[in-house]
Amino acid sequence: MALIDVQKVVKQFRKGPETITPLQETDLQVEKGEFVSLMGASGSGKTTLLNLIAGIDRCTSGRIVVNGADITTLSRTRLAQWRAGNIGYIFQTHNLIPVLTAYENVELPLLLLPMSRSERQKRAEIALRAVDLVDRANHYPRQLSGGQEQRVGIARAIVTDPTVVVADEPTGSLDAETADQILQLIVQLNSDLGTTLLLVTHDPDVAATAGRQLKLVQGKLVEDRRAQPAVAMRQEAV
Amino acid sequence: MFKFAPYVIKTLLRHHTRTLLTVSGAAVAVFVYCFVLAVQEGLERLTTQDDSVLVAFQANKFCPATSHLPQDYEHVIRKVPGVRDVVPIQVFTNNCRASLDVVVFYGTHAEQVRQVRDFELVSGSWEEFEANQDTAIVGQALVARRASKIGQNVSVGDRLTIGNLNVTIAGVFTSENRAEEDYVYCHLDFLQRTRGTDLVGTVTQHEVFLQPGADPQQIAAAIDAKFKSGQIPTDTRTKGVFQASSLQDLIQLIDLVRYLGWACLGLMTVLLATTTVMGVEDRIREHAVLQTLGVTGTRVFRLVLSECVLVSFGGGLTGVLIAVAVLAASSLSVGAEAVSIAFTPSTSMAATGVIVSALIGIVAGIAPAWRAARADIVTALRYAG
Repeated sequence: MALIDVQKVVKQFRKGPETITPLQETDLQVEKGEFVSLMGASGSGKTTLLNLIAGIDRCTSGRIVVNGADITTLSRTRLAQWRAGNIGYIFQTHNLIPVLTAYENVELPLLLLPMSRSERQKRAEIALRAVDLVDRANHYPRQLSGGQEQRVGIARAIVTDPTVVVADEPTGSLDAETADQILQLIVQLNSDLGTTLLLVTHDPDVAATAGRQLKLVQGKLVEDRRAQPAVAMRQEAV
Repeated sequence: MFKFAPYVIKTLLRHHTRTLLTVSGAAVAVFVYCFVLAVQEGLERLTTQDDSVLVAFQANKFCPATSHLPQDYEHVIRKVPGVRDVVPIQVFTNNCRASLDVVVFYGTHAEQVRQVRDFELVSGSWEEFEANQDTAIVGQALVARRASKIGQNVSVGDRLTIGNLNVTIAGVFTSENRAEEDYVYCHLDFLQRTRGTDLVGTVTQHEVFLQPGADPQQIAAAIDAKFKSGQIPTDTRTKGVFQASSLQDLIQLIDLVRYLGWACLGLMTVLLATTTVMGVEDRIREHAVLQTLGVTGTRVFRLVLSECVLVSFGGGLTGVLIAVAVLAASSLSVGAEAVSIAFTPSTSMAATGVIVSALIGIVAGIAPAWRAARADIVTALRYAG
């Protein structure tokens, strides 16, 4: 059984007199350890699909099963608890908590899990080491560069060792060089740690780094390509 | 919940000016509320004193300056069954109307003061007072008030002059009943003779102390009956009722002041709710991020509520501490008709202030916390604020 099983999912919402349908009867299966990119133009429904899988939005109809749990039937509170243990979310604009240090931001999701203080400390340090930011642990977000902020965001997303990491345009607000570094880091997460990754982007080059590339047009999956990731190819070439 | 305490505290400190202003506003409101409570408590202490003391006053007279009872009524009253002791008192006050600086002289038998009052001398000596006709003992609150209000330092051996009354201070006393500390106790003969009017043989009132278990109403009626057809009829009431009737005008004002206290609490609630709503609106996106990470709506509710309660509690505690300090240091009192209401800090006042401020924090925080907890995550993440 697939790790993520999206079955005939429809998402509709009303905007004034109009009913908008960003997702139309979408089906998708993602296996454990896969790195999937979702590409499409603005309004194609890619972020909506990502949010539904991450459990921060509700579908109008259909079913989403992640790691055996039907998240469409969970209550608001249960869904939040489920997210704490199963989802790591990387935002486009980092969305770090400004009053907390890098370390505290990374530790934050662990506060929601039954875990001792020493265990939390150990995990947060490992996550910060993974993104090479141990020396910035006590810095506040305002004291970090955009790239460093995003790395803290990545550390925060992986610190709970979630079932799925979802990334919504993670390089969208970064310059080309930093974006490349962040992308490398994300690819590494998948290749080194075997993290299941779902990445939303409108950039074909970014999408090409994923092992599987999906394309959405007007709420429908129109393309599903499995290819050897570009980064992996580069690594192999080296 | 305490795992998130650093986040709550850091959030409050992030907008430190706003937090400080809100805490200050809450402190001012609670200060005023505590002041009102102190006034009410002072009045309550006066008017609900135990029923074992009666005051016999001249019937149909309301001001101490116009009540003139024969001094020898003392002997008649003493014979009424149930009466333990009688203290004839000549009262002189510098101001019969309501004032914040009333000085009241109680002229009585010096040797009786020690028996019927719980005074403790902090300086001077009882012997000096009892031996010299022109001496007086002065309440500590009055001494403090004279010093702070008119810069007159009054201590043992000094002369205290009010109008044409001039006494030497033989002692300064404290009392469990703080209102007593606003009075000056001097010799009855001295007060009857010294002001140019010969009041020898008359007193303003008789204070009647009852035996344990005696019925105050029955004894008051018996006293009044004794003098009903006599030279000057009396009107005898328990001390609490007597003082309440003397302060009737002030009681109405103090009742009105209660609404001022409530209004302050209302303003504090609105201020806290407004600040918390502003804080929530500033952090719509932040709360959505927290919820994305797995923080439940209930926890977001509790976090916002905690912030509001902390600010309210901090302000309340500050207001209470300031009120206690000001009330303790100022020895404030208001008097009318030779009866004084002392504004003193009390444990119940402080506890009420702190508890009320915490409750206001909860009430003011509910709506903003609910709003933060129920916000749609996806919409909030798009919020640019």
